[in-house]
Amino acid sequence: MLSNSANGIYWMARYMERASYMCRLLHIQSEALVDRPVSEIQFGWRRIYTAINRNPLGGVQAVGPLDDYNLVDAYLLTDELTFVRDNPESILSCLERGRENARQIRHCVSDQMWTALNTEFLRIRDVKLTDIWLASPSSFYEELLAAIDRFSGVATATMYRDEGWHFFRVGQFIERVQFGCSLLLTQKMIENQSGELAEASWRSLLKIFHASGAYDRTYSIEIQPDLVLDLLVTDRRIPESLLRSVDRTTQELSSLGDGPDAATSGALRRLAGRLGALLRYDWPDRDDRDEVLRQVLRYSRQLDSLLSKTYFNYAFQGVPRSDI
Amino acid sequence: MEFQKYEIEPSFYDEMFHRDGSPRQHCVELHATLSDLTELDLSTMQERVTRSFYDEGITFIVYGDEAAGERIIPIDCVPRVLANAEWRHIETGLDQRLRALNLFLQDVYNEARIIADGVIPTDVIRDCPQYRIEMRGLSALHGAWVAVCGTDLVRTNDGFRVLEDNLRVPSGVSYMIATRKAVKANLRGVYRRSNVLDVEHYGKLLLSTLRDLAPPGVTDPTIALLTPGVYNSAFYEHMFLARELDAELVEGRDLIVNDGYVYMRTTSGLRRVDVIYRRVDDDFIDPLVFRPDSYLGVPGLLHAYRLGNVTLANAPGTGVADDKSVYAYVPDIIRYYLSEEPILANVDTYLCRQPEGLEYTLDNLEDLVVKEVGGSGGYGMLIGPHSTAQERQDYAKQIQANPKNYISQPVLDLSRAPCLIDDQFEPRHVDLRPFVLRGNETRIVPGGLCRIALKRGSLVVNSSQGGGAKDIWVLPD
Repeated sequence: MLSNSANGIYWMARYMERASYMCRLLHIQSEALVDRPVSEIQFGWRRIYTAINRNPLGGVQAVGPLDDYNLVDAYLLTDELTFVRDNPESILSCLERGRENARQIRHCVSDQMWTALNTEFLRIRDVKLTDIWLASPSSFYEELLAAIDRFSGVATATMYRDEGWHFFRVGQFIERVQFGCSLLLTQKMIENQSGELAEASWRSLLKIFHASGAYDRTYSIEIQPDLVLDLLVTDRRIPESLLRSVDRTTQELSSLGDGPDAATSGALRRLAGRLGALLRYDWPDRDDRDEVLRQVLRYSRQLDSLLSKTYFNYAFQGVPRSDI
Repeated sequence: MEFQKYEIEPSFYDEMFHRDGSPRQHCVELHATLSDLTELDLSTMQERVTRSFYDEGITFIVYGDEAAGERIIPIDCVPRVLANAEWRHIETGLDQRLRALNLFLQDVYNEARIIADGVIPTDVIRDCPQYRIEMRGLSALHGAWVAVCGTDLVRTNDGFRVLEDNLRVPSGVSYMIATRKAVKANLRGVYRRSNVLDVEHYGKLLLSTLRDLAPPGVTDPTIALLTPGVYNSAFYEHMFLARELDAELVEGRDLIVNDGYVYMRTTSGLRRVDVIYRRVDDDFIDPLVFRPDSYLGVPGLLHAYRLGNVTLANAPGTGVADDKSVYAYVPDIIRYYLSEEPILANVDTYLCRQPEGLEYTLDNLEDLVVKEVGGSGGYGMLIGPHSTAQERQDYAKQIQANPKNYISQPVLDLSRAPCLIDDQFEPRHVDLRPFVLRGNETRIVPGGLCRIALKRGSLVVNSSQGGGAKDIWVLPD
């Protein structure tokens, strides 16, 4: 497959996955705005901004005190995170970039995938926050999330299982590892700083990972942060747990053939293996879990970079004579 | 919905109606169906067709008007019908014309007999910016310099005429197919009853053509389609065709020339490319030979081509044969190479490079269409009857400053066809762009893209200037 096409598929998948996380975060936030205490709402904003490593409007520092979020308007923040194109992490930006990538590699994906993505983008492209704010922002996010899920489902149902499929899946899983890990780190960081055990915030974190029911069934309805962390990091039954996402990444990478340089290809697979080992064998015994999560994030970024070096942007070292 | 309010103007050939208002024989079935549909049926149908283009992303961006964002080409859901005999006439004429033009290209880049024999003046070729000196001494496999051609035809009361030969990177074929798919889905019954000839196998014919052109010794060629990229207005078409061909869609940055061969960068390493269907203009295709500031091309590509290690379709330099000055000589070109009379007529053309042509043009600006010889897309031309005195005066100065750059033609009474405008049938001027393929034989799908001048009375059919498109139904014998 053409390197550029593989790269396009990979990034299309990543942007769509990112849009999904943003949608889930904003869905929870839009519900919190209705009846949750101000501190919880502030925590929600800070979690989002810290996770995407961006400072919100109004000169507030993402990692500053929670009280700072009193200074800014929920309307403006929602708009910035949903519709503002200048914010590369807004849902619309993610969808737009996902679609731009999809447009370039349309011939490599199914018609149904393109149509699912294109129609949803066209549906929300001209929507303004004023159109949804007074009615029901949470319904908007629910519908949007359903459309993004539909895109993913359509891909699973229709995409040809060639290399493109494996790059699509790698993109999804690496984004899950990176975004998921950022969220967990943020949660720990904010919690450590504020020194509060914000049960509601851990509960909402479970919801973001689609793991609330699983937690209740596995443990109890009582929230214990360490158990939540364990579940979200290592329970492979949770579709978006870090370990599952890493294992699936490894699996997809092994389905891909070697890139032109065997050494880089080997390094890529070893790194994925090391990441899995970190979560599987180190995590249970380590007390410095923040550090492990930071290590996971570093490894996952290296994984992205090595993937690019292996398949997309490898150095041109001449052509073997046998090929001529 | 009835056609009572539809105006038939005798000075224009109407594609559906005789002058007395009765439908032409090959249009009877469609006419009856359309007459039975309600206004609501038709507007719903039009909406569905338009919606399908948006949903599938069959869009383009107009250069210089990027802020307006993506547009679709307006599609009219009323097809234009051609009788089989009409089509056979066109098909034979196009085949003849393309054979002659390919022979001309082979000659003009080699012995140049046609110049030596005085059929075409030397300066017409010498002054043509599309003549590529770098192609001198080269030959195209099977003589197919032009593998893909999109000829623009118009019909007047006197019959069909060729308006332009588009021999460089003609586009529009994806619209032809997309329009067919959308229109037939909405007019299923009459489409089936009419046994309309298929156009959707164009991709297969293109693939066969490109395979014909593989370098000698390559039995299973790797084909790639070279696009300027996603911001090109025809990108949808490039993607569409890459898919039809099952070829990789590559940009210049994906290709590398090494040791005289072309490779593309794939996930498993470099892979040799044998045939490139290029949709990048000559100027941009190889910065080492043509424009050095081009980022769209591939350094060394022409070197690989000259060595015969890769085929470029169309070959560089084909623009010399669709230059508007050379166009005037195409009937002579046909007679010279084929010893046949042209089947399809040209439009009368006055070359401003010739004193009598210049004088006639300047004296009759009000009645003529004046075009730049290297122009395309409907840009840079003056339509005399629709211009102001000031515009004519300004244009006359431009012509006098550089007469070689201009030709003029009479304003043609382009035929009209019924179109659905504001839920009513109204006549609009149309043209026809069939797509002709040439490998080791001529291949052509029955039909083409019918372009419409959507503004009432307008003769400009270009999509970049408010033109639309409709399906063409060629009926069987």
